[in-house]
Amino acid sequence: MELSGEEKKLQALFSELKAADEQATPHFGATWNGAQISPRKTHALNPAFVAGMMLLVFGVVAFAVWSRYSRTTSSPQPVIANAPQNPGTTPAFETASRPAPESPLPKPKNAPIVARNKVTSQHNAMLAANRKLEKDAKSIASWTSPTSALLESPSDEIFSSLPELNQSATQLKSFLPSRSN
Amino acid sequence: MDIAELNEELEKLHSASFGWALSCCRRDHAEAEEVLQTVYLKILEGKARYRGESSLKTWLFAVIRKTAIGEYRKKLVRSLVFLGSSEKHEDGVSSADGPTRIFEKSELQKQFRIALAKLPARQREALHLVFYEDLSLSEAANVMGISVGSARQHYDRGKKHLREWLSHTETENGIVWRRKETPSAV
Repeated sequence: MELSGEEKKLQALFSELKAADEQATPHFGATWNGAQISPRKTHALNPAFVAGMMLLVFGVVAFAVWSRYSRTTSSPQPVIANAPQNPGTTPAFETASRPAPESPLPKPKNAPIVARNKVTSQHNAMLAANRKLEKDAKSIASWTSPTSALLESPSDEIFSSLPELNQSATQLKSFLPSRSN
Repeated sequence: MDIAELNEELEKLHSASFGWALSCCRRDHAEAEEVLQTVYLKILEGKARYRGESSLKTWLFAVIRKTAIGEYRKKLVRSLVFLGSSEKHEDGVSSADGPTRIFEKSELQKQFRIALAKLPARQREALHLVFYEDLSLSEAANVMGISVGSARQHYDRGKKHLREWLSHTETENGIVWRRKETPSAV
């Protein structure tokens, strides 16, 4: 291949570079023997490997915490309202989620046993809460106002009862207004 | 090819291999030496195996190139992980001592190395393989793992850049070109 003037210059520059590199080339035996005796590289301290493992561990721990937390907060408990709006009416029930429980504690070594005990205690607490709710509901249903006695009158029975068809005429007369003629 | 035979062949190609490793490692002598040692280790362990599909030189150069790229990536990741890395990259030219220092006294050669380092990697590789290693374009393409057309394109562009640099340097600095006739140049 015929080289032009500038190509020849480039070729000469590369040749000079090559000559300098050849002088600086390490001895083959040293490099070859160095390769033979060099210790095998281990991947244990590879930064990318370490970073990957750390990410993996973090992901697993985060998932475990999230799954545990979501299980405790997913079932809403029925909560009774503080006080009835109208006396004598049944208490209003509303469904609302309970406040978030205390932050999850780090898992001990015997995690399955602790978790089972915790589930049992939670179940017992839920039963006790339900019993208390039933008791409160009964007491609220039988509640009467302290001033209700003032509103009572002897004719309350008449106002609160209705005449029946099979009653006698004399009894029905009592419902009629009295006439003087 | 048994290991003794391979050893003999590699010894013949050692100087050219080191030059190619230098080019792949942006003229970093220490890194080039490490890359070459890793290549020899790969050959010894059987991770890199010559199957006779191309010439030994082409195969070896392809292994060196691949290893150098791998080492460079590892270094990059390391420098990203440990941001306090104290590695120096000055225009892609590392300091070297001994004979290289003498070589660098030539201002034109110094500037040439800087200009070469500034070229895109593919262009630099194509030029190096053709001008420095006296490979044909098809062999260069084989080493670079690209088609001959692409290799030609990189070669032409690289040559154009170097030509521009050469004419600029000559006019700016008034450098009188000393023609050094070498048998391989013509």
